[in-house]
Amino acid sequence: MTRFEPKIVGFLCNWCSYAGADKAGAAQTPYPANFKAVRVMCSGRVDPQFVLQAYAKGADGVMILACHPGDCHYKEGNYRATQRHRILLRLLKQFGIEPERCRFDYVSAGEGEKFVKVVTDMVESIRSLGPLQPTVAETFPVLIPVD
Amino acid sequence: MKTAVYFCSCGDNITERIEFERLKNELSGHPEIAYVKPAGFLCAEDGKEFLRNDLVMERPDRVVIAACSPREYEKAFMQVLAEAGMNPYFLQMVNIREQVAWVTPDPDEAREKACALIRAAARRVALHQPLEKKQLEARTEVLIIGAGPAGLKSALTLAQAGRKVVLVEKTPVLGGLPVRYEELFPNMECGPCMLEPVMGEILHGEYAHNIEILTLSEVTDVAGYLGNFTVKITQHPRYVDTVRCIGCGECIPPCPVSVPNEFNDGLGARKAISLTFAGALPNVPFLDPAACLRWKAEDCQLCLKACPVENAVEFQDAEKIHERNVGAIVLATGSALYDCRNLPQFGYGSIPDVYTSLEFERLMASNGPTGGSILTAAGKPPESIAIVHCVGSLDEHHKPYCSGICCQYAFKFNHLVASKLPGTKIYHLYKEMVAPGKEEFSLYRHAVDNADSQFIRYIDIKDLQIRSNGDGNVVHYRNAAGREDSFHATMVVLCPAVEPAKGSAKLGQMMDVSSDRFGFYEELHGALDSAQSRVKGVYLAGACQAPMNIQKSISQGMAAAGYILSELRDGKKLQVDPVTASVNETACSGCHICRFVCPYKAISYTADGRTASINALLCHGCGTCVAACPAGAIIGNHFTNDQILAEMEAILQ
Repeated sequence: MTRFEPKIVGFLCNWCSYAGADKAGAAQTPYPANFKAVRVMCSGRVDPQFVLQAYAKGADGVMILACHPGDCHYKEGNYRATQRHRILLRLLKQFGIEPERCRFDYVSAGEGEKFVKVVTDMVESIRSLGPLQPTVAETFPVLIPVD
Repeated sequence: MKTAVYFCSCGDNITERIEFERLKNELSGHPEIAYVKPAGFLCAEDGKEFLRNDLVMERPDRVVIAACSPREYEKAFMQVLAEAGMNPYFLQMVNIREQVAWVTPDPDEAREKACALIRAAARRVALHQPLEKKQLEARTEVLIIGAGPAGLKSALTLAQAGRKVVLVEKTPVLGGLPVRYEELFPNMECGPCMLEPVMGEILHGEYAHNIEILTLSEVTDVAGYLGNFTVKITQHPRYVDTVRCIGCGECIPPCPVSVPNEFNDGLGARKAISLTFAGALPNVPFLDPAACLRWKAEDCQLCLKACPVENAVEFQDAEKIHERNVGAIVLATGSALYDCRNLPQFGYGSIPDVYTSLEFERLMASNGPTGGSILTAAGKPPESIAIVHCVGSLDEHHKPYCSGICCQYAFKFNHLVASKLPGTKIYHLYKEMVAPGKEEFSLYRHAVDNADSQFIRYIDIKDLQIRSNGDGNVVHYRNAAGREDSFHATMVVLCPAVEPAKGSAKLGQMMDVSSDRFGFYEELHGALDSAQSRVKGVYLAGACQAPMNIQKSISQGMAAAGYILSELRDGKKLQVDPVTASVNETACSGCHICRFVCPYKAISYTADGRTASINALLCHGCGTCVAACPAGAIIGNHFTNDQILAEMEAILQ
């Protein structure tokens, strides 16, 4: 039996966590290719519905990586992101989706090693959880307007 | 839709892990990709030339560049697109170096990941809109609020560059607090000696015609944004014409009214018509209607009769409202001292000869209430002086921060007392001692080496107590080692925490400038942009931003001038970045949620409160409002829902 390879998408903010991922690259520190990044300018841009849509489209796990408290390039977008994440976890619970599948963390522009650690941990924890049952996620309605 | 993919090998950095031909083959089955071309170093000059020429020849609709991090070269490649006649926003970069090749040891995994990200970028870029930088006309005049060292130097720097400056000062005089100090740390330069040449330039120098000085004035309303502010200024009457007055001071001695002189911090008295202190600039007396007999229904005309110039004293002078249009605003409103009455153990205000450092500065100033003699309230020189450092600073119950300047002026006091009154015993009571900088150690050394100086460290300000015993004051203390003792001190000088000047919060609110938890104006970034507020076009200079010394205040004043000279230039239009949020007005439900989440006050509402609108000049493009809008009425340009979702879904396929 082949090993389960989880699909993980991560929303990285341009100024801290995306730069942290670049720092991991510059240091050539490997991490699993299961993780793929979507760059946004600020973690505050991450609409919780992006996360729901990720599950609906086949993600086994979603990460939101933000600037550390007090470091947000836009002052407080990371606080909004963490507030939304907490509420989102309560919603996911009602759908029977494990909280491990939606991880929020802080990664600064200098924290290449931390980036590798949180991503590797995530991949391992989702690998042990197994795939997200598609029947659950496919029931998410698309509420978000696409222009 | 013809989407081109350019693959940069970055020397071998990328191709070491990702084999180009196999990647190209795997992408060839995707109809949204028209072609995939390799390049050696796209970022090099010949790489950019290749890209430019190829774009001109191939005429793709959209471009994907798979190379290094967009944080490095995205702007440069957008420029190449523009040079090739394309909209620069028709580009999407894929980071296959830092986020694939360098972190994925297995070549198959690396190639698959690169393929997925390139496909996702192709899907995303197909949805990119042709965005344009908008251009706005901008005014180049500058309003500076506060004529202390920071505001003065900022005004002079701008005026020297040909800028029109409106300098608003609420008191009748220029120079702020330091102009009242006999000597300044660290080099014992006299305050007026340092500032008078600057004020002279501002009042009468080569560039004075560029500066409009409004004393006794306050800003009462601000509207607009960077490049286009409209400001209302209320100028209180001076009752002396600043142009006609020759500054002889003949009007002052005949005045029959004496009131406490607030410019000496209440020490000594002044007349109802007076100069704030000898040498004050502008050298024009002011008449205080709260003190003058004419406002108490008496027809006193003694000052008018003494004046040798016709119509210089003008009792009929009235409040004026000025309206000015400016492109930028500098807040240089300075600082004040923490109220020592909040620390009742010192008896400030009730026990005689307990002074704040500002009052003590005036006691030592040759144009102060005692002509520069250090004298007690009873008129005698003190035998001993206690200088209490950290009064309210580094204290969770008062101000948790170190005010930074107090130790150094305390050492200056030590030096001045030792030279004016040799043999005077000086006690320093301190919690912590700081003297950073390349010159500051000198006064510290003088104080430490002075045989008449004694240093006592305490832990908590509550461990100090001052009692009057009829023959001066007794300082009771518990030192850091826990030992309790007391000593006699004829005079006590308190060094209170530095806090923002009164009224600064109200002024900040007028232009949406936020204050930090201590009340200082909040800077855009503590290290990178401490002279910029969080509102575009409003700059911060001096101690209104944080406690600081004169040198740093002046540097910030000039830094603010530098920002303005760079941002607002004659003939230069303001570029408005299109990567901002905008409102779909028909979908907006008027819930106001976006207004509360915007960190930049960029969102306002129509007069009926029903529709949001975003000022693109103030918006920084973070997208927090886009995610917050429950009606989905806000569009995050270049990071729209459909663009982000298209990229995400393709990644997951």
